[in-house]
Amino acid sequence: MTQPLVQIDGLTKDFAIKRPGMLAQRAKLRAVDDLSFAIAPGETLGLVGESGCGKTTVGRLILRLVEPTSGRIAFDGIDITHLDEKAMRPLRQHIQVVFQDPFSSLNPRLRVRDVIGEPLRNLGWDTTRIEQRVAELMGIVGLPAEYMTRYPHAFSGGQRQRIGIARALALRPRFIVCDEAVSALDVSIQAQILNLLADIQRQFDLTLLFISHNLGVVRHVCHRIAVMYLGQMVELAGENDLFTQPLHPYTQALIAAVPEPDPATRGRRGALQGEIPSPIAPPPGCRFHTRCPRAEARCKSEIPQFREAEPGRFVRCHFPG
Amino acid sequence: MTVQITAPGFWQSEFAVRFRRNRNAVAGSIIVAFVVLVAVFGPFVAPYAYDDTDLLGTWAEPSREHLLGGDQLGRDILSRLIVGARVSLLVAISVLSITLAVGILMGMIAGYFGGWADGLIMRTSDIIFAFPELIFAILVAAVMGPSKLTVIVSLSIVWWPGIARLTRALVLQLRNELYVDAAIACGTGPFTILFRHLLPNIVAPLIVRASIGVGFIVMAEATLSFLGIGVQEPEPSWGGMIRDGLVGLRTDPYLALFGSMALGLAIIGFNLLGDGLRDLLDPKIRDR
Repeated sequence: MTQPLVQIDGLTKDFAIKRPGMLAQRAKLRAVDDLSFAIAPGETLGLVGESGCGKTTVGRLILRLVEPTSGRIAFDGIDITHLDEKAMRPLRQHIQVVFQDPFSSLNPRLRVRDVIGEPLRNLGWDTTRIEQRVAELMGIVGLPAEYMTRYPHAFSGGQRQRIGIARALALRPRFIVCDEAVSALDVSIQAQILNLLADIQRQFDLTLLFISHNLGVVRHVCHRIAVMYLGQMVELAGENDLFTQPLHPYTQALIAAVPEPDPATRGRRGALQGEIPSPIAPPPGCRFHTRCPRAEARCKSEIPQFREAEPGRFVRCHFPG
Repeated sequence: MTVQITAPGFWQSEFAVRFRRNRNAVAGSIIVAFVVLVAVFGPFVAPYAYDDTDLLGTWAEPSREHLLGGDQLGRDILSRLIVGARVSLLVAISVLSITLAVGILMGMIAGYFGGWADGLIMRTSDIIFAFPELIFAILVAAVMGPSKLTVIVSLSIVWWPGIARLTRALVLQLRNELYVDAAIACGTGPFTILFRHLLPNIVAPLIVRASIGVGFIVMAEATLSFLGIGVQEPEPSWGGMIRDGLVGLRTDPYLALFGSMALGLAIIGFNLLGDGLRDLLDPKIRDR
């Protein structure tokens, strides 16, 4: 394997939580717990899990929008974990983001031209050059360039997401974090945006971290998939391996929950019982044991290691398979 | 496909239509426009100079020569009210400009950066909030001596923390919006984020706050002038005229009466306009 573009080692993020009351007890929520993975150049890594499992926080940590508690983030061999905002700025043009909510991710008071052109303006480009580049970008994402003087409210959700993608592409980045980039869109529009992302990735040789709760969507675009549960990674495998032969019971349950179009095979698989436990007080031992059909006494006391079960396949379970 | 949005003229715009339907806003803007016109052009149409004394006409009753009568030195009350409008508005505009500039800047810094800057700015404003504003103004007057400048300085010191707190709260609401994260992620600096992304999204509530504030500032200036620590003779101010009128209130009530009416009219105008604008611009009560 060549040198990874993004390398994460032991990344951990705690959020402090204030409990109400005079003698405020400080509790902490471990959103991301000792996460390690690498993304190779040109690869699309999918990151899936239920809401609240910390997948969005992972994206924000890599973007340096939140400070990690411990661990190391390297981009193209450079340690960016503790770079301050000024030192980070030149690197930001290589690392971009497409957010989930196409409504709150575009400033309602700025014209499309100014939204897409903002990263260029930050580099001191002049107005005519920015307009040329914005027109070119709008062409790439399939929006007519005449629309550049409009405000975001004049666009539909899918079009807004195209604007967000154009903004992310403006600086010709090498790596884009797609945080639930299609989850807020209608299913018919989702396919269009996913195809657009796949085209762009090929065209510009991009590396993507694709965060989603929707396994079907992830399967469509990703080479490898990481599954998270309560801040920990429970399985990491190639797309085909993960779907045909998932090793972790949580992954199996997630795959079983993907809607099945064929009524003949429908309804025979057990859905996952129970709620996701509170990340403020995660269960001891294996974090999944409260909901696991396979749980035994050992799972309640001993934390399973994240180990390589087969070449290139990692799993965190005492009884994988 | 998006629908072609054509830009309508201002009078056809949604805001203008809703403005015209709002009685408070219409009444308030008519009164405010009247007061402003008087303040700007009044001195050219006033029948007498504001410091023209006529010792034979002291406490004159309203007549053809003096439409609203004369004061204790026989000066024309109408002329003095007109010039007083100019003084009141000048003070209000000065205080408003200073408090908005300082308050918005401080509020944005406190809300966006948080940490020690937030602590310093908010604790400073707490200290100022702890003083009743009149006591504070008297304190400033004791140091600076009574004058128009004293009124402007003391009211500015007392008023900026309110603007700063409002701005801080608005910025706190917006700073978790994704477009702020997107701006950080594409390398936008903090002050560009504040002025380009956040300020345009918080102007509406600030306009409402400012328009309601004008009424209070006019009132506060009149109070300080009434107490003798504001605008000084012979320059007229509504507060000072009401005080002078109190001496002869039983026998010659016109000075205090017309002074109070002018002050009341201006304050009602600004408050109606402020209430109307709040109804129109505040998204929380907008769709009632």
